[in-house]
Amino acid sequence: MTKASWSKALFALMLVLLLALAACNSGSEEGGSSDSEGGSEEGGSEEGGSEEEAEEDDGLYSIEDFSPAKTNEGEAIEGGELNFGLVSDTAFEGTLNWNFYSGAPDAEVIDWFDEPLLYNDENFLYTNDGPASYEPDEEGKVFTFTIKDNVNWHDGEPVKAEDWAFSFEVIGDPEYTGVRYGSDFTNIEGMEEYNAGEADSISGIEVVDEKTLKITFKESTPSLLTGGIWPYAMPKHIFEDIPVAEMAESDEVRQNPVGIGPFKVDTIVPGESVTYTKNEDYWQGEVQLDKVTLKVINPSTVVQALETGEVDLVDSFPVDQFPDNAEMSNVEYLGMIDLAYTYIGFKLGTWDAEEKVVVPDDSKKMADVNLRKAMWHAVDNNAVGEQFYNGLRWNATTLIPPSHPEFHDAENPGVEFDPEKAKQILDEAGYEDTDGDGMRENPEGEELVINFASMSGGDTAEPLANYYIQSWKNVGLNVQLLDGRLQEFNTFYDRVGQSGEDDPEVDIYQGAWSVGYDVNPDGLYGRDAIFNFPRYASEENDRLLEEGVSAESFDVAHRQEVYKEWQQLMVDEIPVFPTVYRAVLTPVNNRVQNYSIAVDWFERYNLAVTAEEAPTAE
Amino acid sequence: MWKFIVRRLFITLPQVLLLSVLIFLMAQMMPGDALSGLIDPNIDPAAIEKQRETLGLNNPWYIQYTDWITGALQGDLGQSFRYKMPVTELVEQRLINTFWLSVATLIITYIIAIPLGITSGRYNDSWADQLITGYTYIGFATPLFIFALVMLWVFGYQLGWFPTSGSVAPGLTPGSFDYVLSKIQHLLLPAISMALITTVNTVQYLRSEIIDTKQKDFIITARAKGASESRVYNRHILRNSLLPIAAFFGFEITGLIGGTVFVENIFGYPGMGDLFIQSILLRDYSVVTTVVLLFGIASILGALISDIILSLVDPRIRIK
Repeated sequence: MTKASWSKALFALMLVLLLALAACNSGSEEGGSSDSEGGSEEGGSEEGGSEEEAEEDDGLYSIEDFSPAKTNEGEAIEGGELNFGLVSDTAFEGTLNWNFYSGAPDAEVIDWFDEPLLYNDENFLYTNDGPASYEPDEEGKVFTFTIKDNVNWHDGEPVKAEDWAFSFEVIGDPEYTGVRYGSDFTNIEGMEEYNAGEADSISGIEVVDEKTLKITFKESTPSLLTGGIWPYAMPKHIFEDIPVAEMAESDEVRQNPVGIGPFKVDTIVPGESVTYTKNEDYWQGEVQLDKVTLKVINPSTVVQALETGEVDLVDSFPVDQFPDNAEMSNVEYLGMIDLAYTYIGFKLGTWDAEEKVVVPDDSKKMADVNLRKAMWHAVDNNAVGEQFYNGLRWNATTLIPPSHPEFHDAENPGVEFDPEKAKQILDEAGYEDTDGDGMRENPEGEELVINFASMSGGDTAEPLANYYIQSWKNVGLNVQLLDGRLQEFNTFYDRVGQSGEDDPEVDIYQGAWSVGYDVNPDGLYGRDAIFNFPRYASEENDRLLEEGVSAESFDVAHRQEVYKEWQQLMVDEIPVFPTVYRAVLTPVNNRVQNYSIAVDWFERYNLAVTAEEAPTAE
Repeated sequence: MWKFIVRRLFITLPQVLLLSVLIFLMAQMMPGDALSGLIDPNIDPAAIEKQRETLGLNNPWYIQYTDWITGALQGDLGQSFRYKMPVTELVEQRLINTFWLSVATLIITYIIAIPLGITSGRYNDSWADQLITGYTYIGFATPLFIFALVMLWVFGYQLGWFPTSGSVAPGLTPGSFDYVLSKIQHLLLPAISMALITTVNTVQYLRSEIIDTKQKDFIITARAKGASESRVYNRHILRNSLLPIAAFFGFEITGLIGGTVFVENIFGYPGMGDLFIQSILLRDYSVVTTVVLLFGIASILGALISDIILSLVDPRIRIK
């Protein structure tokens, strides 16, 4: 061959090699994900080893090592500026009013300049320490609120009882454009009439004098004290002349919002940043910082922004980036248990859209409680937490997460990981492999294929779903991913039943709930709750849920007992089983003092910094 | 010429209409709607249902479309559900940002492309040409979103030369000198990142066009007449080689739209691209349709501009 053709041949060969390399590359990626599956299985089989592992330096973390409050180092300087990063891949919407906002980013923006009139304690119960105090009557139906004298709006006007009443009038207005109107409001005397346009005023709300407000509720429930009373006032003197339908788009909401918080809004660049200045007239006392700057930070660059000190603290931190950045030298990580849990749900009935009730159906594939129990026994959620989340999620036991310490039943062990037990239960219930394919048939001898719906999103979604399917396969259950793939968020919830049209193809699904301040699970598991996706209902369940919000349950000990029983009922009946609880982590720059992410922290005015410039990471 | 423009605009109108119907249909076919993301036990489902009813989301698509298009013709593009404000106002805020970002990108694109293209075309197969062609190949192969992240990391965070997010520093009064300066500073890095990638097409076009023209008969004639080398290049070759670049201009604009979607997201730069993605994810239909419509109009106008420039640069092309 001539020299030229040699070089051509060589070139062709290189191209082929390149293609081969590329092919190998994609192959090894797949290999990688199956590796991690294998890894989690191993973690599952040697259960005892997991605790020892945690003690060694193996990249596992535990929520117990984190505190929600910042440790203070050094001496605070006078004044100073704080930079707050709002972690979001979108611009914030800019509806800067509690009555109208709907996105979480907006709530973060509002938090800096406005606050509730009623504060709550660590059990989410309203206290009398906030800008207003409350006093229920003996029956618990009439509440008298008194706003403290030195609470003023940023424009100098005192906060009056009519401002608070105005909030209710706006949200109850037929023209109201937000989503806050719900059972909290319909529980007020005369609210429904007002909302229907039949009454000019709400009969249950009475402005007694300038600082005193009286609200009469139809039903007295302990839920009233945990978020059941709308605690935000709206400056009537500013909004009075704006029609309710146009409030959300008005400049008073978007450009010049006014609140009662420790900082005043100075400038707003729509969707990207807000600057605040100190409120000289804050009711709790002298505000330490001179200025706060809030800006939107993309989740993909949040680590750099923290390392360079561009932001001192952020509203949330992507937990999957934590293990790589756990050693960041200029921040301290604060942590607490998230008000949320992940769960696997079983479809046990359908939704009657006419009557708006759940209709349980005994002929459903998952109707046998033994099958459900076996499926719970079959999965090792501690391994899931360790393998997929570095220990920042961990095995969940009951449907009231430990973020509600008062009601979470720590003694209830749930159903523990025990594949042998799972097999035994299935054997006894008649789920046996009759045709010898290694998969169990149902007691009637028909083939049993369970369709599993799971949501896409994040790197772990797919391996996690596969892990569960594999675990169930290990006890002989044939579980298939619905349509053979993960479902996109909207499709997923449509098929699971958010509009009441449940897809009969779905047998089980993996979902997650974040829970409200009020522990009452009626909105998720009640007979008439559309979010009761498993479509589970039983009389015992109805009874306990009702008991939990009855007048007797104002007695915390009684309520605890009721919810303890309910948690046990859910462990026995298993309409859903919780898989993991979660940790929230928030990095805070070392120069910041007096910060906390605890739910009962209302001391933004005490925030301080120890240096003019934020230290950077080494 | 004017006749042509008018006629083109005339064809454009049904195009835009058809586009809007298509977009509207596709938006409707997406699962979920603006309210389905609100799966929150603290929000009463009845309140959501009521909102759906008032927003007309339960109507069949053609009624929703007619409602929307009649509004649009009167200049009312509807209400963004998510932002709770008129779409026109929202788009206006964002459009200004994207407009300046695109202008800056275009300018930088040509500042880079023309000298590089000329050098590499004039001295083809020299080491300078090799270097430039090498760069264009790398440019072709690099995905914009990765490149933008790297640029952000190096120039934004490591060297700290540029701000890393937003379109303007917080706390400045609009209109002041500092404000304008800060705006320019904020759009420089995203514009450069985008330009460095999008420019490679233009460089390549220019290069091959120059090489091609160099060998044409009229160039030989020009040389034979005794025209100096620089005159040959600047007058005869360059002018002829710029033709396809001009034709490319319209597509450049379309390409920019695709680019802004990534770049705005990475740089946290609130513009149309960012708005577009977010509205799709949140099923904010009124915004999605408006933005797509504007994008459509932008590319149709881009093509029109290309044609007009072409006829100006090249008298041989007579548009009838």
